[in-house]
Amino acid sequence: MKLIIDQVKKQFGEKTVLKNINFTFEKGKIYGLLGRNGAGKTTLFNCLNSDMEINEGEFYLEQEGNKKKLKPEDIGYVLSVPTVPEFLTGREFLTFFLEINQAKIEHPKTIDEYFEFMKIKQEDRDRLLKDYSHGMKNKMQMLVNIIAKPNILLLDEPLTSLDVVVAEEMKQMLREIKKDHIIIFSTHIMELALSLCDEIVILSQGELTEIDRNQLNDVEMKNKIIAALKEEESYA
Amino acid sequence: MLSTFLLSFRLKNTYKVNTIIYSLKQIPLIKRILPDALYQSKALKIIGNIISAILEIGSIFIGKLLYLWLMVYSISTLYTNSATTKGSFLTIFLALSIIGSYLNTYMFNPSKDKYYAMFLMRMDAKKYTLSNYTYSLLKIIVGFMPFTILFGSLSGISLIICLLLPFLVASLKIIVAAIALKEYEKKKIILNESRPMKFMWGITAILLVIGYGLPFLGLTINELTFSILMIIIISLGILAIIYVKKFDQYREIYQQVLGSTSITMTANTQAIIVDSVQKQIDLSTNITSSKKGFAYFNDLFIKRHRKILIQSAKKIAAISLFLIIGILVITQLNGELKQKINQLLMMSLPYFVFIMYMINRGQAVTQAMFMNCDHSMLTYSFYKEPKAIVQLFKERIKSIALINLLPAIVIGLGLPLILYATGGTENNYEYLILFLSIISMSLFFSVHHLILYYLLQPYNVNSETKSSTYTIASTLTYFACYYLLRLQIPILTFGIITIIFAIVYCLLSLMIAYQLAPKTFKIRT
Repeated sequence: MKLIIDQVKKQFGEKTVLKNINFTFEKGKIYGLLGRNGAGKTTLFNCLNSDMEINEGEFYLEQEGNKKKLKPEDIGYVLSVPTVPEFLTGREFLTFFLEINQAKIEHPKTIDEYFEFMKIKQEDRDRLLKDYSHGMKNKMQMLVNIIAKPNILLLDEPLTSLDVVVAEEMKQMLREIKKDHIIIFSTHIMELALSLCDEIVILSQGELTEIDRNQLNDVEMKNKIIAALKEEESYA
Repeated sequence: MLSTFLLSFRLKNTYKVNTIIYSLKQIPLIKRILPDALYQSKALKIIGNIISAILEIGSIFIGKLLYLWLMVYSISTLYTNSATTKGSFLTIFLALSIIGSYLNTYMFNPSKDKYYAMFLMRMDAKKYTLSNYTYSLLKIIVGFMPFTILFGSLSGISLIICLLLPFLVASLKIIVAAIALKEYEKKKIILNESRPMKFMWGITAILLVIGYGLPFLGLTINELTFSILMIIIISLGILAIIYVKKFDQYREIYQQVLGSTSITMTANTQAIIVDSVQKQIDLSTNITSSKKGFAYFNDLFIKRHRKILIQSAKKIAAISLFLIIGILVITQLNGELKQKINQLLMMSLPYFVFIMYMINRGQAVTQAMFMNCDHSMLTYSFYKEPKAIVQLFKERIKSIALINLLPAIVIGLGLPLILYATGGTENNYEYLILFLSIISMSLFFSVHHLILYYLLQPYNVNSETKSSTYTIASTLTYFACYYLLRLQIPILTFGIITIIFAIVYCLLSLMIAYQLAPKTFKIRT
């Protein structure tokens, strides 16, 4: 399975944020998307998630040789600020989600099994999401996004504000599920990208470029990334 | 002090001009014409400044003209049977000015300009507050003066009192400000204009009854008593100025007024609105639903928001019932009034369009829907699927229509009853038309608000309204309803037109919404 970005261009008025991007992401890998503030990472995610229209080009999903246009249901989007319906309890949110998506979910588990998988304690399951901590809301958001097994998971800095335990749990969970998904992980934290991601992709000046690890150690890789972000070095 | 004021005025003006340019850019057709480098354009800045100046002058005069004309003068002329216009004018004016003194303080209004100036720009809080407060009081005095003279003279009030009325309003505000500051010194709790204390609503209700009710019974304040009261209030106002000027903890009070979270984050009025809407979620988890899918989701939303949705509709229904019973009792006691109300009702159905618009909970419901629900849910792809959007839309339209139906039924049954009790009508169909047209109006506004929300979804990720088209559509709705206040059309004619219009509008707009909502219903970027 491949996500193909084909000649995608996105403009805001006269400013071009994404310049005719051509790139292919593959299943089974976690891609670390790095870029400076304002480089267009969230714009790229918003375009992939159909929240923004692109000016030119197309997103495709290729499965077993069949290429089709990317649909919203192919995407799971986890934001850094967790977005959950605060007027529902954790259990109600899952109940609703499972009912709506029952046709799409193969081998559904029980609600409590999902809670167990996400390490959400028994006593928290029937509390309003409004009263959940940031980390717990984030877990719920992640859970809902992976239950339906979307082909592509977009993660916009999801671990930045989590405590170390929850962040480690989430990293482990991402490693476990990556074999079935294309995971694109946007972050500012280089160490996180290097420790979690299989590939590093840089969004700079509206273009996506993969940084080849090529047997570099972490320090060398880090320097290479910084140089690429500063555009001091040619890495083509 | 003057330099602080000029600096803050420039800051506010820059913000206003940029907001005007931004709003212009949100209008679909204009958006294409205007270039991106708009905020640098000197010519456009000048236009923006002119619009800003017009708006500033408008805010000084137009609001006060409408207020004095519609809420004080024109109502005081209605009591000619029981009281003099002069007495009614003074009674209403005094009652409303007292209400305004604590509900419209300027000083304790958590507006974003205060946050930008005092916290972001670190301007001297005391100098900023006092200079801007003085300016706001001057605006009150200058803005009110021509109209207190005009409407006061028309009511037969002596010129000297007319001249002093604006000072009375300003003095009442300063007295309340001084009391609130004194309370802060004692208890470290400050009045917040966006969250009035509960007892204030009680006082407001009492003052409204005094202001508008007593003249009806022939009880009004006479000019001499009013003058004495006014002199006392203005004198107290002068004393209060000294205290307000001496007070030294303005930065501390604004830290509280603007809220600790909003100060560290995005502090603005919007954050406070979002916060207050989020606080409306009913925390009890024993609320359940036996429905499935989107019906389950919507049912829980409505039940967990019953405070702002169902209970407020019940309150409106109860107030309407109370007023209807009141009118029925009064008309039975006063034969002349009975006839007048009958004549009024026969021709005043257009008036109820405005009333039904005002009491409709549609806008509050859609605001809560976005802030407490769609804001988060629209990030999930399953929620954005066309089928899902239409399914939820159907559930919501049923709920909104039902919520609004309760007060509509009370009014719809009450009006034919009043018509019957005041002498009735020769054409019995008019009772039915009266009932059906009120129900149609309620349905129309329920559908209208939800359609506007789905087709023009106005909020961005920060829950700020970012659609000029939505603002224009809402404003046009308001003015259309307001315009109808002036029309006098017989029940049968207007009622039938209303019913047909509502049915056609609802059917057409539902068809359009089913087609377009899947494309338009998304978070603004």
